[in-house]
Formats: sequence, structure tokens, C-alpha cells
Amino acid sequence: MKELIEYIAKSIVSAPEGVKVTEEADDKAVVVVKLEVAPDDKGRVIGRQGRVAEAMRTLLRVVATREGVRARLEIV
Amino acid sequence: MRELEVGGKTVDEAIQIALEQLGVSEDRVEVIVLKKGRSGVLGVGAEEARIRVRLLPTGGEKADVIEMAKEVVSKLIESMGLTVNLSVPQPASGELPVILNIEGDDLGILIGRRGQTLASLQYIVRLIVAEKLKMWVPINIDVAGYKKRRYEFLQNLALRLADQVKKSRRLITLEPMPADERRVIHLTLADHPDVTTQSMGEGEARRVAILLKKH
Repeated sequence: MKELIEYIAKSIVSAPEGVKVTEEADDKAVVVVKLEVAPDDKGRVIGRQGRVAEAMRTLLRVVATREGVRARLEIV
Repeated sequence: MRELEVGGKTVDEAIQIALEQLGVSEDRVEVIVLKKGRSGVLGVGAEEARIRVRLLPTGGEKADVIEMAKEVVSKLIESMGLTVNLSVPQPASGELPVILNIEGDDLGILIGRRGQTLASLQYIVRLIVAEKLKMWVPINIDVAGYKKRRYEFLQNLALRLADQVKKSRRLITLEPMPADERRVIHLTLADHPDVTTQSMGEGEARRVAILLKKH
């Protein structure tokens, strides 16, 4: 799951070195994927009306479903 | 360069109308707001919003774009833990858009409800390729011929419903559909002698109505 978000984020931001993705399971079997980018790149990974973030969540859901878990993407 | 001026109740509505007429997504155009428009009180003093949209330039060598698109799709799908084959059902030169077909087993998961996952996948691929090439290129992604079949189904449906509208003299509203599917309906019936089409509603709920032409 981490790989997917990392690949997308690094490919669309202007400072790929500022991209940090972590993955951790919380108590309710939900995997939380945290995406951190340089402040100037935040708009890019969110997109107009959250469109980019929404698309990333949709693709993340595919991976989560295959692995039998639920996932949540947080942009911090 | 193609330009278009349209009006609507709000700026957002005008943008939607323009995108539908051009058959492209929002990342393809530059929007210039000419007049913001006002809703007025009970329609009194209402003023239409007007915008101008301009298609952003596209270009580049098609073969290069195909290679780039293939690489991006492969990496993306690989990072999702899926194994697939990619085919390019078109010659490596000539007209854009670039069409990529993803083939493999159990790919329903990549299509999603009403093709939503596929739409997200295509959006992300376009975004990444645009970032790499520093320009926007039209790329269409299909999964196991899903869109091709869906478009054919919609064309038949449009013609059938047009017949019904003609006979019953009543308007028929279709279920909500994404922009590319609404476009298929509009295009299929564009030259129909008896009916015309119109999109109504906002966002996810936007749908096409087929109605009788006024003679």
C-alpha cells in the first residue's frame, strides 16, 4: 500500500525528496497510510476539490480489498 | 487552438457545460471567468455567469507518449501488487489519444462500481505523464475492453430510448453517468431527426435527458 502512494506522490510533486509515506495498523484493523509532502506540494497531492486525493484513495482501496483489510489515507 | 465561450447559472455549471461540449476533463483546459453571475432574489436580478475555456496544447511524438504511458501504468499496477499485460490497440503514429488496454485475470477490481476505479486510475496516469512530459496528453485506459463494451451498450441504449421518446412523446432521463459516458449518449443522438439531449444535475448526480425536438 505504501509503495503505491509513494510512487504516485513522488511522480506528481515538485520536491520528490520531501515525500515520506508511513504505514501503520491502528487498533481496529485499519491500516493508516500517512503521506507527508513538502508544504508547497500539498496542493498537488490533494488537487482541486480533493480530486487527486480521492483518486489515490480509490486505488488504495483496491490494494486493501485484495489484502483483506481496510485502509485510510491521511495527508499530513 | 480551440476556444469556447459558454454561459450557465453559475461558473461551475458553465465549466461543466464547456467540458461536456469539448469532451475533455478539467485538467485539459484553461478557464477564464468573464462574468461571475448572480442568482438574484427569486430569479429577479439574476445574471448569467460567462466563461471562456481554452484547450491546452497537446503534442509530442506519439510513440514516445505510448512508451511513457506504458511505463507509468506498469509501475502503478505493479505497486498495487497486480500482474497484468498491456496492449496498445492502435498504430504507434497518427492521431492521439493514446489508448492502452490492460489485460489479465480478475480485473473487475480495477474497474470498480460504474467504472470509478478505472476513472481514478486513468486520472492518475494522465497526471503523472503530464508531469513527466510537462504537457497534457490525452490517454485513454481500458480494462479488458470494458469501456469499449460499455460505449457500445450505451449507443444501443440511446437509440432505443430515442425511439421510445419519439413514440411516447415524453422525456426520458437516464441514470447518472460519468462525463465520458454522457458524451457517448450526446454524440450518438447528435444527428437524430426527432430527439435532442441535455445534461442536468450536478457532480455525481449529473444525468442525460432525452427529449423531443421542438419543430
